[in-house]
This record gives sequence, structure tokens and C-alpha cells, in this order.
Amino acid sequence: MSLRPVYIVDGRRSPQAKAGSVLKDVGVPYLGSYLIRAILDEQGIANDQVDEVIMGNTGAPPKYPNIGRVIALMAGLHKRTSGYTVHRNCASGMEALAQGYLKIASGRSDVIFAGGVESMSQMPLIYSKEMTELFVNIMKARSVGDKLKAISAFRPPFLSPIIAIEQGLTDPFCGMNMGLTAEVLAREFGITREQQDEFANRSHSHAIKAHKEGKWDEEILGLAIGDKMDKFLTHDVGPREDSSVAGLGKMRPYFEKESGTVTVGNSCPITDGGSMCLLASEEAVKKHNLNPIARMVDYHFHGLEPERMGMGPLLASDGALKRTNLTMKEMDVVEINEAFAAQVLAVRKGFAEKAVAERFGIETVHGEIPDENFNPNGGGIALGHPVGSSGCRIVVTLMHELKRRKAKYGLASLCIGGGQGGATIIENLIK
Amino acid sequence: METKRISLEIKENIAYVGFGYNSTKSMTTLDEETLKEAKELIENVKNKAKAKEVHGVIFFSHLDSCFIAGADINLISTLKTESEGAYGAEQGQIIYNEIEDLPVPTVACVHGPCLGGGMELALSCKKIICSDAKNTVLGLPEVKLGLIPGFGGTYRMPKRVGLPAALDLILAGKTVNGKKAKKMGLADGVYPKERLLGMGKAWLNKNKKKQSLKESLSDVAVDNFITRKIIFQKARESVLKLTKGFYQAPLKILDTMEAGASKSRTSYMAMEAQAFGELCISEQSKNLQHIFFLMEGAKKYNGPKSEKAVSAPSRGAVLGAGTMGGGIAWLMSNVNMYPIMKDINNDALELGLKQSSAIYRNGVKKRKVSFEDFEQKQRSITPTTSYEGFKNVDMVIEAIVENLDIKKKVFADLEKHITDDCIVASNTSSLKVTDMAQAFERPERFAGLHFFNPVNKMPLVEIVAHDKVAPETLEALYKFVLKAKKTPVLCKDGPGFIVNRILIPYLNEASYLLMEGVPPQDVEEACLNFGMPMGPGRLLDEVGLDVAAKVGKILYDSLGERVKPIDLSDKITEMGFLGKKNGKGFFLYDEKGKETGPNQDVMNLLPKKKVHMDEIEIQKRVFLPMINEASMILDEGIASTPAEIDLALIFGIGFPPFRGGLLRYADSEGLERITKTIEEYAQKVDAQRYALSSYLKNLADNKKKFYDL
Repeated sequence: MSLRPVYIVDGRRSPQAKAGSVLKDVGVPYLGSYLIRAILDEQGIANDQVDEVIMGNTGAPPKYPNIGRVIALMAGLHKRTSGYTVHRNCASGMEALAQGYLKIASGRSDVIFAGGVESMSQMPLIYSKEMTELFVNIMKARSVGDKLKAISAFRPPFLSPIIAIEQGLTDPFCGMNMGLTAEVLAREFGITREQQDEFANRSHSHAIKAHKEGKWDEEILGLAIGDKMDKFLTHDVGPREDSSVAGLGKMRPYFEKESGTVTVGNSCPITDGGSMCLLASEEAVKKHNLNPIARMVDYHFHGLEPERMGMGPLLASDGALKRTNLTMKEMDVVEINEAFAAQVLAVRKGFAEKAVAERFGIETVHGEIPDENFNPNGGGIALGHPVGSSGCRIVVTLMHELKRRKAKYGLASLCIGGGQGGATIIENLIK
Repeated sequence: METKRISLEIKENIAYVGFGYNSTKSMTTLDEETLKEAKELIENVKNKAKAKEVHGVIFFSHLDSCFIAGADINLISTLKTESEGAYGAEQGQIIYNEIEDLPVPTVACVHGPCLGGGMELALSCKKIICSDAKNTVLGLPEVKLGLIPGFGGTYRMPKRVGLPAALDLILAGKTVNGKKAKKMGLADGVYPKERLLGMGKAWLNKNKKKQSLKESLSDVAVDNFITRKIIFQKARESVLKLTKGFYQAPLKILDTMEAGASKSRTSYMAMEAQAFGELCISEQSKNLQHIFFLMEGAKKYNGPKSEKAVSAPSRGAVLGAGTMGGGIAWLMSNVNMYPIMKDINNDALELGLKQSSAIYRNGVKKRKVSFEDFEQKQRSITPTTSYEGFKNVDMVIEAIVENLDIKKKVFADLEKHITDDCIVASNTSSLKVTDMAQAFERPERFAGLHFFNPVNKMPLVEIVAHDKVAPETLEALYKFVLKAKKTPVLCKDGPGFIVNRILIPYLNEASYLLMEGVPPQDVEEACLNFGMPMGPGRLLDEVGLDVAAKVGKILYDSLGERVKPIDLSDKITEMGFLGKKNGKGFFLYDEKGKETGPNQDVMNLLPKKKVHMDEIEIQKRVFLPMINEASMILDEGIASTPAEIDLALIFGIGFPPFRGGLLRYADSEGLERITKTIEEYAQKVDAQRYALSSYLKNLADNKKKFYDL
């Protein structure tokens, strides 16, 4: 089947901020709906011209079932616009793009909003299994005596809640916390604490530099914050100007307390944020007289051992490059989501070193990525990682960087909790 | 029997009586013919019921838009004498008594507005059920027209919902939706509209829920001589407090209901009819009916004819996020226009967000808005510092700083970023719309749109035309104002448009009085006693003394000595007293904006030696210049009808509605008397300020009234 070209007309994102801070009061759908409206308005497209809204999200409060549809309505799109939600963990935002890509490429749709939202501030607390059972028993009990009997089964430890976010960050298959999977990579590929801290520091300094140069202004759209919704936030709250390798070196390992190397400082913080791309077919581009920033060339997802999930980008990028017949050399900019410094450094090793690549069954040595082309504006360690959004966020950041550089190809890739990797290749059209 | 207005169908021994039959209007009113038909029809149903052919009666409406909106006001306005009015009421009462006395079960199935005479009809049925639709509202709003419900409403409502709730509904003319009606016992059930007739049939044989012990106890508590006395007493106090005693109807209603509380139906009805007769020919009721017609008239665009069909703008943007800009953004967001709000930096945008958030939160606090609605609507505002997205809006309202050069620059810039169909309006209060229009390549898309501060509370919006404006622009703005649930008034460009132009001479004259040594509290009270919602000092504080001084100067520059400002405002402003906004003006205000007493520093500026002036004299001094100025506005064609001026002043500055408007008031006082007094004042007080309008003089000389035009 021949596929139609898929264009990314525009991509924008919200400011990102550590969970529990400035974005905590923003209802999850509103991290995405305003992006749709702003992009739609800027492109001058009417609200009834969108086929579908596809949103990545991993943990919205039960108040918003199928948040993709909720966002479509909140954005003021025509009520007949369909909407749905996808969950591929850390790559949910990229999965949304992938599905949008397929639908347009195959000729089923013409205009799609794809993106992701995550408010890790608003992820729910869950009652323990014992407490839930207790509630059920109390409700079932008919007589006062039965009720009392049911209630008497209560024990104080029942009240200790399960934090959904914590559970979500633990692999159900290998039982390992994500941080521990990073420790595995650090151990196996000899990535030192110093290297990790240096990389983390680089993330902050690059992000701050991009902020000062006004680069983020091209992709960030401000939104109202605070419980009164009367403050206006237009920049990320995360990158630290005062970050230093020495300062990072003082932090204690968080996951493997004594012998470990992964700290809170060289990992991404849990974060709130949203991102959005407008995808369109060639016909739609002509019909609405659009000027797309990029073309989405293709994507690839790949699985691997859950305990080494951090290497996902190596396999996914390999697959995406093979699928598109492109080489790493042709990639002018590469964005790898920074979940953990150790994980990103291991992935770079895998691109450059045959032994590491072979360890994951990859024959091609893709070659080292020049530092100036790699996460040139920092990444998740400084900016944070709103799980449902990041897969789209890195594509948004990538397309704006390619545009600034007037470059051609770019690769965005990220690791996925559960042992997967996702990668997307785009081509800049703004010369 | 052949009927035209009401249908009668008998199916399975049930009589279905349908209003709005063969109707081409969206609202059904009880006009003479409908009432006549109703009478015969009920007679017919009664006979069939007696003959056991009919076992139950269901009243409903054929229209989706209305049950019965009440008696035809045109019919009421033709009533000439008390006895004619009382007779009219009795005719209705007879029909409704017949309905009440039908020997079979009766159910009113209410969908759509059920008001006044419609409500009274439903009350005559043994049961009322209604739909849960948004447009289903029930109530007895007669008091708003200076009337008493005359078809037995004041008799039957307390019986159905209890005295306190009935007084609440009748005295304030409040309406309730279906859900509320059920909760207060006015309706027996609420259902989706499609199920209404089916449920009506079921209700014919349904018994009312037995009263709970609590309900019967509270009935006993309320229904005795002493508690009744207390309830009436409280109600009277609250009416007097709310209306300051200006309105006769609520007091008359109270008198009737109290005096008739233990009377038989026949004697009660006679009293109610009598009260209706008295009220319906009163000056006040006529004035309130007049305003009703003005308001009805304002619901339709009556300006220059558009060449194509024009609809209300659907997406809006506002330039400038200050107090007004933020308020306008709120207004647009509230009617789902997803506004874009642009200003030059983020701090300015936050001011606008604060403004809108504060209005919404106030609604949340009063439980008029849900938090979810607040969140969704507040977040539907897109704050921005660029013109991104302006391609997708069809209306832009400018509310930036009042500086012609800056505005013109902004307009020239704006026009590059909007589509050809987008209309643009300026919320200027003092600049010339004609001057601003010059900044446009397409001046036809532009007009003035003057909102009053605060936007959420002030119901009036002046739409200001200029020579080059397209009728389509005016019509679109008119429809936007209606969509935003405000009252639009069309006018032509001129200093101060309508409201400020007439307001300034009034405020000026009040200041002159103060400088003549008339005690400030006397001036305030004279105006309050005339029925103004606040005295001129308070009003100046509300508007802002600096703003008033600025507008006053602009008027002086273009109108000359007639509106020469006194330097009192300047002096006060120089002392840093700006009015309510900084807590100090003629009066002092606490943090919540509540008045705490006169500002002694300002009082010290006034002459020590006080002179006494009669209240009527004070009133003449301040209100006659308004009438004089209004005549000039008509003469200049800035307003085209006296109705527009009256509407503008009632909704713009709260000119007392029971007086029917400034010019209707002038008509009732007699234009000859008015011109004579103005001429006297020209001699006695000031020749310039009381320079008689030739237009007014002409009217008086020809023994005409404003409303003869």
C-alpha cells in the first residue's frame, strides 16, 4: 500500500513544571485544549475541519475518562470531532503521533490533532486492597450488626494509600523501579556517577541558554495558572541556572541507596505539561492554505527487556532509520528524552560502540552523534518528563530546532517503561 | 365547536386542551379572543365532565417555545378606568374558577415559559407538572409591570407553595425553573419534555404524596393569625427596604393578600380584581409597561438595513487587558466566544485574567456558576502578546488607553492581521469614533461600542455609528450585545454619546449646587428621593472623579460654556481622591468598597455658609439640564428617538424605571412648565448652563410631547 505524505503543520507545548508546583491546579484537559485552539486560530482553520483528536495520557483523574475526547470538546472543536486517548506509557504522546500518521498516510483522515497531556500532580491516590474490600463489605452488609461486624475488620494500616504514580513507575513484570533499571545500565556499561552528573548539568545549562536566547518562546504557549487562574505562565519551571556538577555530586543516590549512582539530580523530575501537533494530509494543506513546518517521515516502536528499558531508543532509532533508509549521519538534530542521565549515555554508547549494539542484537554501528546536534537545548532532566506528553514534546522541540537551523532531518526517540523504545523521524520544510 | 386559538381533543375520555394552536408566534399570550375561546371551551368540557364523557383534563401547549407567557400587555395597556380593569380581571377569574371547579382531575403540563396569566391557569389545575427544559420558567412577574396578578394568582399561589414562598415569588416577580418549582411544591413532577403528556395522563389518577410530619407541622406553624401577621410584617419591611417605598404594586399586593387572607374565594377574588383595576391604570404601571415595550423593542435590530443576512459574531478578541478589556474578555468567554485577549506584556495580561477570574469567582461564591464552568470559561480566554490567531475571529473589541494616536496606530496594525469579514469596535468613552475610523482601510467594518464600568454589572452598551460604517457592522454588534445579554442602544457619534452627554450636565449642576452652599447630604437625598439609585456624589465616586473630570473637559471642549465644569472635581482629584477605586472621594470607603461616611477633606472645600434649598428645587436644578441636553441630542440626531434616550438612561445610570424614563417623565410634567422653569433659571442662575434648547422650545410652543414624535 502506498502511503500519503503526512505534514506537521505546527507543534506547540505548554510550559513544564515539577509536579505539585505551579501547574498543579491546571485541570488535565486544559494542558492540551488551549494548544489546539491556539494552533487552529493561528492556522485560520474552522473548528469543524478537524477529523480527530488523539491524546497520549497515562494517569488522568477518573473525572476525565477518555481525555482525548474531553480535550476536543474543551478546545471548542465541533462536537462531531471524534477523540480518543492512547497509553503507551512514556511514549503515549508519540503513539498519538504514530496513530495520526497512519490515519493520514493511509488516506482515512486529513486533519488530526495529536499530542499528550500529563498532570502528575493530579494522579490519584488509591486505597489499599484491604480498605477497598472493607468498603465493599460495609456496603454489602444489610443489618446494623453486619455493618458493625464489617467495620470491626478495620485495621489502621489499611489507610496507607497506594500512590498511583509510584506504582506506575515500577515495572509490573520485573518488579523494578525505573530508577533501578537505570542503575542496571550504569553498571553494565560502566557509566560513572561523574559522567551522569556532568550530563545532567549539561541539560540544565543548555535549557537555560535556550531560554535566554528566546528559543522556547517559539514552541511554548503560556497559560493561566493558580487556583484563581489569574496568573500567566509562559516558561518552564525546572531548568536551574545555579546548577553545577559539584552541587549535583553532593546528592545521595536515590534508588540504590549505598552503592548506586542514579540520583534525583541526574534523573528527570516528575512533571506536569502538555504538547500538541497538528497533522495534515497534502490535500488538507492545500485546502486550508497551510505552511507546514515539517513532514513526519516515519516512526518505529521496539521492545526489549523491561529491566533495560532505558536502551529502548537504541532499538527504536535503529528500526526507524532502517525503515526510512536513512542514516544517523543524515540526522541533523537528535532528541533523546532524558529519563535518566545513565540511560541516555548508555544509548549514545550503543550508537557508537559495536559491542554495546550487538548486546541488543543490532548489527549496525550508527556512529557517534556530534554533541552540538544532540539534545541541543537540554532535555528531560532540566525540563522534566510529563509522561503522557514527552513523546510529542520532543518532536515539537525537534521541529523548532530544525527550523531554526534550516536543517533537514531530525530524530526524536525515547525509552518506555515496561521495556520499549519509540522513535520518530521528521523532515524540516522551512528553508 | 370550531376553535382557532385553543385546541380540544378528547381521547379515551380525556380532554386535551392545547394552547398555542395554529400559532405563528413563538410566544402565546392571553389576548381577548383566546380568553373568549377558553371560556366557551371550559364550559363545553364541564358539560362533558358532568355527562361522564370526560374523566380528566390535560392542559398543554402545542409550541415548543412557550406554554403561556401571560396576559397580552397590549390588552392591559388599553385599559382606561379602574372598573374596566377590575372587570377584565373578573372575566379571567371566572374562567379560572371554572377550571378549578371542574369535577374531574386536571393536570397542567408545562413546557416553556409559564408566566402571569399562564401561571395562574396552571395554578387552577389540581396538579402541575413541568418539563426540565431550560426555557421552562414559572412565575408571576406582574409586579414588574406595576401590577398585581389579577386572575387569582395571589389567592392560589400561597395555597400551593405556602405563604412565605408565595410572597417571595409574587413580590419580586421571580421566576423558577422546573426543578426549583418541584422542590418548592409549585410543580408535582419534572420530566423530559417528550414524556410530559404521557406523565400528565398518569398524574390524572395519581395521588399527591402524603404530607410528611414536618410539612404538616410547618403548615400549622405558618397558617395561623399570628405567624401570618409576622410574615406580612417582615415582607413589608423588606419590600420597603428594597424599593425605598417608590413602588406601589408590591405594597398593594401585600395589602390585598393580608386583608384577604381569611376570606372566601369570592370575596378574595373581588379584592384582587379591585386591586388590579387600581394598579393597571396607575401612572407607575403605565410607565413600567412603557419600559417593557421599550425593552421588547430593543430586542430587535432597528438600525440601517443590512444588504445581507447578519448573524452575531461567534469568535471574539479584545485588545487591551485592563479593567474594561478584562471585563469584555469575561463577557465573551461567558457566551462561549473563546476570546483572544491581547496586550503588550504578561503583567498586563494578568490584570485582565484577574478581572475575569474575579467576576467568575464571585459567581461561584454565590453558587450561580459551577467551579467547572468557571474553569472552562476562564480557560477559554487565550491571553497573548501577539496577533497570532486573529485570523480566526470575526469581531475585535479595542479597549486600550484612551489616546487617539495610539489607537489609530493599533487599528492600522490590527487590520493587517484580521480577515476582511472581521468587524472592529472601540470601547472608547470619550474619543470621536469618526476620527478613529480614519485609521482603517475598511472603515465600514468599524464602530464604537461603549461598555460601562463594571462590564459584568452594567446592562447598557452604546453602539456608535459614524458616516462610513456599514449597516452589517452595526447589526452584527447589535446582535453581539444581545447575545451577551446586554441592552444595546444605537447612536451617532458625538461627544459623550448619549449617556455621558446627559450625565455630565447633571453631575456639573450638582457640583454647582454644592459650591452655592447647599449641604451635600441635601443634594444626595433630593436625588435619592427622586428615585435615583444613588446621589450625584456617590455616582461620581463610582465613575471615578478623574474619569468624570476628563469626560467633562472633553464635553466642555466641544459643547462650550453650557457644560463648563466647576473646578471642584479638579481640586478633589488633585488631593488624590479618585473615588471608590482608591477608597476616597466625596465619601470614604472601606476595603470591601462599602461607604463609611462623608470625606471631611472634601467637605472642607465647600463653602462654610450653608443655604437651604427645597428638595423640589434641587431636583429641578439637576434634572432640567438633563432634559435640556437630551433635547439637543435629539435635535442633533445622535439619538433618533426619545425611547432610545429613555432606555439608555434607565440602563446606563439607573434613571428610576417607575418614572418611565427621562423624557417620558418630562412629558408627564409638561414641556411648557419645564421650558418656563429653564428660562427662569437662565435668568436667575446661569444663562449659559440653562440656555434653552430650541428643539425643546419648539415642542413646548407647539404643545407637543417628546413621545408625540
